[in-house]
Amino acid sequence: MSTLIIADHDNQALNPATLSVITAAKALGQSITVLVAGSGCGAVAEAAAQAEGIEKVLLADSPAYDKALAENLAELVISLSSGYSHILTAASTTGKDFMPRVAAQLDVGQISEIIAVESADTFKRPIYAGNAIATVQSLDAIKVITVRGSAFDRSAATGGSAGIESVTATAANDRSAFVKEELVVSERPDLTSAQIVVSGGRGLGSAENFDLLARVADKLGAAIGASRAAVDAGYVSNDLQVGQTGKIVAPDLYIAVGISGAIQHLAGMKESKVIVAINKDEEAPIFQIADYGLVGDLFEILPELESKL
Amino acid sequence: MKILVCVKRVIDYNVKVRVKADQSDVDLTNVKMALNPFCEIAVEEAVRLKEQGKADEVVVVSIGPKAVQEQLRTALALGADRAIQIETEAAPEALNTAKLLAKVVEQEQPGLVLMGKQSIDSDNNQTGQMLAALIGAPQATFAYSLELDAEQVVVTREVDGGLKTLALKLPAVVTTDLRLNEPRYVKLPDIMKAKKKPLAVETPDGLGVALKQHQTVLKVEAPGQRQAGIRVDSVDALLDKLKNEAKVI
Amino acid sequence: MSEYQHPYRDTAFILQHLVEFDQLCADAGLTEVNQELADAIVEEAGRFGSEVWAPLNFVGDQNGARMTENGVVETEGYADAYQAFVENGWPTLTFPEDFGGQALPNVLGTAVNEVWHSANMAFALCPMLTQGATEAILHHGSDELKETWLPKLVSGEWTGTMNLTEPDAGSDLAAIKTRAVPEGDHYRITGQKIFITWGDHQMTPNIVHLVLARLPDAPAGVKGISLFIVPKFLLDDQGEPAELNDARCVSIEHKLGIHSSPTCTMSFGDEGGAIGYLVGEPNEGLAYMFTMMNHARQTVGLQGLAIAERSYQQAVAYAKERLQGTRKDGSKIPIIEFPDVRRMLMQMRASVEAMRALALVAAAETDRSHYATDDAQAISQERVELYTPIVKGWLTELAQEVTYLGIQVHGGMGFVEETGAAQHARDARILTIYEGTTGIQALDLIGRKTLKNSGQGMTRLLAEVEDTCKGLEATDGLQDLAKALTAALSDTRTALAWILDSGAQSPHAAGAVSNAYLMLCGYLTGGWLMSKQAIIATENLKTGADNSEFLSAKIITARFYCEHLLPRVKAYTETLLKGESSLMALPVDQF
Repeated sequence: MSTLIIADHDNQALNPATLSVITAAKALGQSITVLVAGSGCGAVAEAAAQAEGIEKVLLADSPAYDKALAENLAELVISLSSGYSHILTAASTTGKDFMPRVAAQLDVGQISEIIAVESADTFKRPIYAGNAIATVQSLDAIKVITVRGSAFDRSAATGGSAGIESVTATAANDRSAFVKEELVVSERPDLTSAQIVVSGGRGLGSAENFDLLARVADKLGAAIGASRAAVDAGYVSNDLQVGQTGKIVAPDLYIAVGISGAIQHLAGMKESKVIVAINKDEEAPIFQIADYGLVGDLFEILPELESKL
Repeated sequence: MKILVCVKRVIDYNVKVRVKADQSDVDLTNVKMALNPFCEIAVEEAVRLKEQGKADEVVVVSIGPKAVQEQLRTALALGADRAIQIETEAAPEALNTAKLLAKVVEQEQPGLVLMGKQSIDSDNNQTGQMLAALIGAPQATFAYSLELDAEQVVVTREVDGGLKTLALKLPAVVTTDLRLNEPRYVKLPDIMKAKKKPLAVETPDGLGVALKQHQTVLKVEAPGQRQAGIRVDSVDALLDKLKNEAKVI
Repeated sequence: MSEYQHPYRDTAFILQHLVEFDQLCADAGLTEVNQELADAIVEEAGRFGSEVWAPLNFVGDQNGARMTENGVVETEGYADAYQAFVENGWPTLTFPEDFGGQALPNVLGTAVNEVWHSANMAFALCPMLTQGATEAILHHGSDELKETWLPKLVSGEWTGTMNLTEPDAGSDLAAIKTRAVPEGDHYRITGQKIFITWGDHQMTPNIVHLVLARLPDAPAGVKGISLFIVPKFLLDDQGEPAELNDARCVSIEHKLGIHSSPTCTMSFGDEGGAIGYLVGEPNEGLAYMFTMMNHARQTVGLQGLAIAERSYQQAVAYAKERLQGTRKDGSKIPIIEFPDVRRMLMQMRASVEAMRALALVAAAETDRSHYATDDAQAISQERVELYTPIVKGWLTELAQEVTYLGIQVHGGMGFVEETGAAQHARDARILTIYEGTTGIQALDLIGRKTLKNSGQGMTRLLAEVEDTCKGLEATDGLQDLAKALTAALSDTRTALAWILDSGAQSPHAAGAVSNAYLMLCGYLTGGWLMSKQAIIATENLKTGADNSEFLSAKIITARFYCEHLLPRVKAYTETLLKGESSLMALPVDQF
C-alpha cells in the first residue's frame, strides 16, 4: 500500500507545510505519491518532484482546481484514491476544507491535525485547544489525515527526482463558484492575534527608545506590547499594555525586552508558546518563565538583533 | 426559507480542562457545559437572517443524551423556532454525526445549513464538510460574512493569508468562524418563551442510521509542561535557537 | 483584573434542596416556573454578569463617577452595560406582569441579584435602588401614578432613587425638614437630601426620585412624613421626559469604596420648588418605608455575600498561581498548598456558602409569607422578621472578614490596588453601615424580634435546628458535626434564656449584649444550614449522583464550618452572659 499526499500551494509555489506532511508520511514507511491539483501549477509539480523521498507526482492541471474549491478537489481525490491506504494533506484552510469531504465520500473517519505518527494506524492530535493530547487509532481501511505543519520538521525540498504524471481532471461542480479574494496587506499585526509579540518595559528608558523595539518588531512582522511600568512612564499608549489589567496575549513567540516580570505582566503573556527574555538584571523574575534568556544591555542587543534578522 | 442549525454541547470555554488520572479522557464530571461558541455564532446568524426577513424558520438540531436539551433550549431562547434532539448515549464521531444530520436535512429540506466550524472539545473541524459531501451540497467553511438570497448564498471565508469569497447555490452548508457575528445574550423573557417552543426527540434507529465506530481513543494526556528555560550568551545563539530549536522565526 | 464566574452549582443545590424551589413554585401557583427554568435563568445571568459587568468593576473603582457642570457623569462604559442589562430584560424579573414584569419568585430574583452584586456591586446599586423605588410606587401609589411611572421603572428604562437622609436626619428620620407645599394636582418640594445613591447619572432619559418630606400641616416627628415622587425630568402629554425639574445633584461624596456609585447631595427647590406627586396617603411616608425595609435590608445582606464570593474567587485564583518556595525536585510551590493559606481560603469558602444558604432561605421565606395563609402565613412572616436583621447584620459583618482575608491571601500584592483585592474590602466596608448599621440590626433582633415576642420566633427556629442535630446524628460520617451543632444550639438556648430573663431588667442589658446575640445567631443559623446541606449531600452521594465531587466538597466545607466558625457561638455566648458588666462600667469622663 502507499500514501497519497495532496500538496498545498498557490499555483506558484509549494507551501512548505507540505514538506512537513512528507515527514509525517515518511513515518508510515510506504511509498509516497504527491498530487498537485491546480491551474497552471506545473512549477509546483516540478518542485514537488524534487522533494526528497517522493515516488511519483500526479499533476491535475485544470481551471476546475484554480481556486481550490473543496467540491472539485474532493471529487478529484476520490477518483484517484484507489490503491492508497493513507491520504494526507496539510491542515491549512484548504486542507481542512476539502479533506473531510474526501473522508465522508470514502465512508471513513478523518483524523484531524495530527502532531505525531505513532504507527500506521495510530496518531497523536491535540484536543481542547491543545490542553490535552489524544492518541487516536483509526479502524478504517483508508486513513484520511490532516497534518499540523508546525509539529513536523520539513523534509528536504531537493534531492528527489520523481516522475510527473498528468491525470485526468474531474468535472468542475456547478454549485459553488469563486467570486474574489483579498490578501491581507502587511501592516503591523494586532497585539492579541499576532504570532509574534515584542514587548518593552521600563528598561527602555524613554518613548524614543521604543523605536529600537519597533524596528525589531518590523523585521519579525511582530506586534508591539508594553509592561504596565512602561505605560505608566508614558513611553507608549495604554492600549499596548500586556498584563492582567491590559491585553492577554498568547503568541507563538513573545520577546520581553527590559521587562522584569511583575506578576501582573506574567498573567498577560505566560501562555505564549515560546518566551524570550532580554534583561540586564540576571535576577529578573522574567527569566524564571522564559524559554530563552539573554542577559545584557538591551541598547546593544536590540540593534544587533535588528541587523541580524 | 428554512435554516437548519446544528449545535453541540461542549465544556464551557471558561473551564480549564483536566486530564483524568487514568488517561482515558479529560475529566468532564462536574464541569460546566455550554453551547459550543462556534455553534452559538451559527444560531445567531440564522436568527439574524430570520430577523432580516431572509428566512422564515430556524430549526436547531443537536445529537447526544438528554442533557443536550439544555443547549437546544438556549438556542431556542436565542431565537430558533423549534428543536430536534437525536438521542444517543454520547456525542457520536463526526462522520456518524454527519450521517444523522443528513437524515434530518432529508426530512426538513432546509435551504441553508449553518453550523460551527469546529467544536472546542474534539477540535475536529469536519462535520459540516462531511455533511455537505453526504447530501451533495456545496460548502463554505470558516464564514466571515454571508449574504443570503433566495437562490444562493455568497460567503466570504477566512483563509490562510486573507479572505476568499464564494457563491454557493442553495441548498448549501456554511460553517461559521469567530468573526461572523457577535452573538447576543439571552434575554430573560426569551428563556421563559423557549420552554414552550417545540422540541422533538428522534433516535438513530428511527432515522435509519446505523452508527459505526471509525476510531478509538487509546489515551488522553496532558500536554508537555514548559521546559525550564536556558540562558543564551549572544544574539547569534538566541537567533539560532529561535530558528532551529523553537522554530518560531 | 480578576475574572468572575458565578458559582451556579451552589445556587442550584441550595434552591433545590434547602429552598425546595419546585415545591415553593407549586404552592405559589406558579405553574410555569420550576428548578430547570431557574437554573437556566441563573446561568444566563451569570454569563451576562461575568462578561459585561464584571470587567467594569475595577474600571469603576479607578475611574469613579464625576461631578460636572451638567450633573453626574458615570464611569465610561457603564451606560452601554446598563443599556444591555435593560435590553435583556433583567430588571423585570420579580415585578408583576401588569407592568411588564416576569412575576418570578423573590428567591429567584435574589439568586440573580447575587450575580449583579458580585460582578460589580457599585454598579448594581443602581438597579437595586430602582427596585426599591418601584416597590414603593407599586405597593402604595394610586393607579394613575402606577400607570405613569411603573412601566419604565420596571423595564429599567428609567432608574429610581430613595431620598430619606438629611444632614440632621440619619438613623432618626423624625428630624426630616424637607417641605412639600400643595399646588393644584401636585406639590412643591424644597429641601436638601444627602447620601442619595445613584442620585444622578446620564445613563437613562429620566430618574425617578422618591422623597420623604413634610406637609405644611403635618404633625411633628415620625407621624408627619409623607412620600413623594419627584422626577428629574417632568413628563409631557405623551409621558415622555421633557422639562428639567427643580431637583439636582449639587455634589458627590469622595468615599472609601463603591467609587462608581455616585453618592449625591440632592437639592430640591433651588428655583422655587421641585414638582412632586404624593404617593399614597399624607403622613404615611415612614410607614411605607417600613413595609420595604425587610427586602432592602436582606438585599444589603446579599451584597455582603456577593462581594465575599468575588473576593474568594480572586484569592483562590491568586493562591493557585502564586509560586513561593521550592520543592526538592526544583519545582515551585503554589501558595494554595500551604496550610495557613488553605485555612484562609477554607474560611472564606465556608463563610460564603453559609451566607448564600441563609440569604436564599430567607428570601424564600418572603415568598412564602406572600402566598401562605392563616397560621402558616403568620409563621412565615415571623421568620422573615427574624431572619432580616441576621441576614443584614451577620452577612455584612462576615463580608468584612472574608474580604480582609482576600487581601491577606495575596500578601503584599493584596495591599497594591492594581491587584484588585483591596477594592473588595473597601467596597464591602459600607455594607455594615447603610440601610441600618450593625448596631441597629442587633437592637432590632434583640428587641422587636426577640424580647417583644418573648423569644417565640427564635424558639421555633431553634426547634428546627434541633431537628437537624438529630439528622446529623442519624447520618453516617456526620456525628462530629452533630456534636458541634448540638453544643452551639445549647449555648444559644442559654443565651436566649439569659436575654429573656435579664434583658429587660436593666436599661442597658439588651443593648450591651445585642451584638453578641446577633453574631451568635448568625453563626448558629449558618451552621444549621451548612449541616442540612451536609446531610443532603451525604444522602445524594449514596445514591451515586453524578456530581459527587461537588457533594464531597460540600461535606468537607460544612465540616470546616463546624470546626472553625461554629465554635464562635460559644465565645459570643460567654461574652453575652457577662451582660453589661465592664462594658458600661467606665464613667464617660474617663474616655
